[in-house]
Order: sequence, then structure tokens, then C-alpha cells
Amino acid sequence: MNILLGPLAADLVLVIGMGSVLVTDLILPPGDKRLLGWGALYTLLAALLATFAMELTGPAIFGAYVGDPVALMFKRVFLAAGVLAALGSLTQLAERFERRQGEYWVLLLSSVLGMSLLAGARDLVLLVVCFELMGVPLYVLAAWARDDRLAIEGALKLFLLGAVSSVTLLFGISLLTGICGSTMISEVALYSREHTNPALLLGAALTLGGMGFKLGVFPFHMWVPDTYQGSTTPFVAFLSVAPKAAAIAALVRLLIAGGNALLVGVVPMLITLAAATLVMGNLLALHQTQVKRLLAYSGVGHMGLLLMALATGTELGLSMLLFYLVAYLFTNAGAFLVVHAVTGDEGDDLALFEGLYARSGWLAMAMLLFLLSLAGIPFVVGFWAKLYIFLAAWAGGLQWLVLLGALLSVLALYYYLRVVISMFMRPPPTPIEPIVPDWGTNTAIALCLLFVVGMGLVPGPFVEAASNAAQGFDGAIVAMPRSTAP
Amino acid sequence: MADEWIPAAIYLVLCLAAPLGLLFGAFAVRVRARDQSPAKFDTYECGEEPDGVAWVRFHPRYYIVALLFVLFDVEAAFLFPWAVSLRDAGLIAIVDMAIFLGILLVGWAYAVRKGAIEWQ
Repeated sequence: MNILLGPLAADLVLVIGMGSVLVTDLILPPGDKRLLGWGALYTLLAALLATFAMELTGPAIFGAYVGDPVALMFKRVFLAAGVLAALGSLTQLAERFERRQGEYWVLLLSSVLGMSLLAGARDLVLLVVCFELMGVPLYVLAAWARDDRLAIEGALKLFLLGAVSSVTLLFGISLLTGICGSTMISEVALYSREHTNPALLLGAALTLGGMGFKLGVFPFHMWVPDTYQGSTTPFVAFLSVAPKAAAIAALVRLLIAGGNALLVGVVPMLITLAAATLVMGNLLALHQTQVKRLLAYSGVGHMGLLLMALATGTELGLSMLLFYLVAYLFTNAGAFLVVHAVTGDEGDDLALFEGLYARSGWLAMAMLLFLLSLAGIPFVVGFWAKLYIFLAAWAGGLQWLVLLGALLSVLALYYYLRVVISMFMRPPPTPIEPIVPDWGTNTAIALCLLFVVGMGLVPGPFVEAASNAAQGFDGAIVAMPRSTAP
Repeated sequence: MADEWIPAAIYLVLCLAAPLGLLFGAFAVRVRARDQSPAKFDTYECGEEPDGVAWVRFHPRYYIVALLFVLFDVEAAFLFPWAVSLRDAGLIAIVDMAIFLGILLVGWAYAVRKGAIEWQ
């Protein structure tokens, strides 16, 4: 039997944890199910620890999966996002959704499991299965506040567009496998290097479109603000980072494999998507009066930067993409967790943030740093992340896109500062009610803050780790012919 | 290249010709029922007289039962070929099926425990 499971140790931890939480939920008497949350949190922590403590490299499942450094890096991003979301939702679940705790944790774990396997999928069948394993639980989790009409609306939009994206993706992948005669990505890449066929291009473009829905890039971004607004906020902290990183992981696997074999054809499409996403995300964010919607549109804009890095198709681009994802994880999750701590279940109007400094200095300062990081101000991690992406894109020949991105960063400052002004310069509602977040949310915010500031002051080790990971990428990267640059 | 597509073209023509021919033939010959009693226009319900309309809201428990049925239906669909080829496949097949049944069993236990089978 040559099903090597060694590289899948972290995923096995998730499987075992998921099963245990499900069974424990059946055994525990209704009433006190807090234990389940702890079980899920420890499972995620154990899996995260395994990615550092164990040797998880090498192929597995008959070569359909490969544990290369890039997969490992993505795995850590997913697991860290899971840990942050779990910390943030512990108290909320125990208080507000007391009877439905078990399902929440099982679904969260299974979504993380799907992403974690997706990160190393070298076979298109495994890729699609993992994509669904990741996506289906998200539809359910988005509707968790099912008494709220906004939640139902947002979840339904996510579900319908998710179904469309799955169909698009499947059609694209069936074209690729049908023409190349193999489900292995390496074979597909090899074939498309040697043959030109418009159907191959169509397949790659459809796959990119399917992933575009999950990424929420313009023009597939319609679900993003509505779903963020309706869903419970700690879950949004997860939804706004992990599935996007997963879609990027799948695109990296598929497009960059075999020396950018499939990337070359879709570069014009990628560049167009990146430019449109940057422009529309930032423009639409300008006039938002709801904080979650504002962050949603800003997140759409950030996806444009990721596509920019992907479009370079260079090793530098890939490493900076990885660094950016780590930075984005802590920044964005942190910002949403602060929103959760401030607003609770009372919606997400910007007015709720007025005078936040007087109500909780800690939350206001944390939010300030997260927003500065999102805007890309020096000495927080967002600055380095953005700068490195621009450097990689400049070196990759996308100069006009870099200029556009830099211009829009200035614009982005405006809407981030609107929240800051609201927090620090508007009077708080009288009488001043201090906000005391629950310990889980506090811990998660503190962790995010630690990384946002720490990586901002000392970005070196993280950049080095990202570069090393990109060097060890399984699909060898060779220089891409840049004939398609506009 | 073009030769390969000739069977497909013939197939396409046949596929279009059959239903269209039947349709126009029926129009030309004017085949229709002579007996126009109300029972002709009623919904066919295996001889039962239908009561009310079908456009009503169904209770979700029907869907839950249907889901549970699919669970065990699929299980059976996998069990038969497994049982037939068990002699050749050996121990590994038994272990695999045990894992598969174990997963389904957890699903079944979940459904029972959460009251999906209680019909109130």
C-alpha cells in the first residue's frame, strides 16, 4: 500500500478533531456545550503546531497531494485564520447560539480541512473536491444568525453565486482534463506548453472565473458586502481571509505549475481583473456608512493586489504573494474582530464607532493600527506587504498597474481615515458606556496586533520564509515569456 | 478531421427529426382523444382522486427523511459491488468498508440524536 499519509499529519489531526467534536456533541447533555468550542480550538492549535513541529513534505495519496513549502505556508494561514475565528466566536456561540454549537465547530473544522488539503492538491479531482469541502460549510455558517433577514439574504447570495462558481470551475476543469487527457496538473501544464488550443485557454479562463467568485474580485464581488454584513462577525474574520487564500492557493497550483504553462494565456485577463478590482473595490468603499461593508469593499480592493502579484508569474511575485497573505490575514481578521467587539449584535453602522476612544482605548488603538496596516502606512505590516507586491509587479513588467495601485492607495486612505476620525474625534454617546470585550475576542485581537506590529517592525524573517517557500515550490518556475504584456 | 464529425452530424439530424416528425405527424393526422370527460384532465395519482392542489408548503421533515433515505440508499449501492468483489479485494476492502460504514454510522447517530427521525 503506497498511500503515504505522512505529509497529511496536520490534516489527519483536523479529521480526528472534527469527528471527536461531532461525537462529543451527541454525548454531551444539552445545556453546557462549551467544551466543543475548546475541542475545536485545541484541534486547530494542534494542527498548527504540527505544521511547525513535523516534517510534512513530500507527495501523498498516490501523488495527488504534495506537501511542498508553499502548501505548508498556505496551511498555516488557514489554520491561523481558524484559530482567530474560533477564539472570537467562543463566547458569542455559548451565549447567542447555545443550542447549535456542535454544528458550528464541525463545519468550521471541515472548511479548514478542505482548504488545508486544497493547498497541496496536484490533481484536479482532489482540487475540486477540496474546493467543495471548503465551500459548502461556508454557506451554512454564513446563515448562522438565521433569525436575521440580512443573514439569510447574505447566505443565499453566497450560496447561489458559490454554486455558479462551482459550475464554472467544473466546466473549466473538464475542458482542461478533456483536452490534456489527464487530471494531474503537471500533465496538463506539460501538454499546454507544447500545444496551442483555444479550448485550453477557455478552460483556464473559466477556472479563473470560478475562483474569482470565491476571491470576490470585480465583477464577481456582488456577494461580498452583503454576506459580510449579514454573517456573524467572528465568522466574517475567517470568511474574509481563509477562502480567499485558498482560492489563491488553487490558482497558484494550477496556473504557475510547469513554468506558467497556463498562466501565459490568461495574463491579459488577470491584469484586467486586477485593475478593475483595484479601481472598483476602492471606489465603492468610499461612500460606505456601514463598517463591515466598508471593510468588505476594501477587501475586494486588496484582492486586486493579490492578482497583480499572481500575474507576474515570477518567483519574486509568488513569495511576495505569500508574505502579503500572512499580513492580510492578521490585519483583516484583526479589524473584523474589533468590529465584533464594538458592535456585538447591533449591526455595523459607523455611528457605533463614534467616540470609541473614550469607551475603550484598547480597541480604538488596535483598530487604528489595523486600519493603518490596511491602508499601507509604514511601520505596520501592511506597508511592507503592499510595497513588496509593488516591487515584484514592477520587476515583472506591470509598471502601469503599480502606478494605478499606488494612486488608489492614496484614495483608500480617505475611507480608512473616516473610521479613524469617527473613533477619535467624534464625541461618544452620553452616558459613556465602556466596552469590555470577552476574553476570547481580546486574545485574538492581541495576537493579530502582535503580528501586525511585529511583522511591521521586523519583516525580515517573514519575507525570508516566504522567499524560501516560493523557492521550494513543487511546480518548477521558469521565466515566463512576457510577450503578452500590454 | 471532418470525417470524424459525420456520425455526430447524422446523430444530431436524427435526434431533431424524430421529435419534430412525431409532432408534425400528430398535427397532420389530427390524433386526439374523442372522450373529453373531466377525468381526462385530472392529475394522475395511481387511481386515487387527487385532493387539493400540489402548490402547498411542505414540512421540512419530508426533506430530512429524504436525505436520510439517500444516505442509506447510497450505502446499499456501495455495499453490493463490495460484497461481490470482496473475495478478490481481501482485507483492505474490509477495512475500507468499515471506515465508510463508520462515517455513515456517525451520520445516522447524529440524525437520531438530533431528533430527525421523530415524527411529530
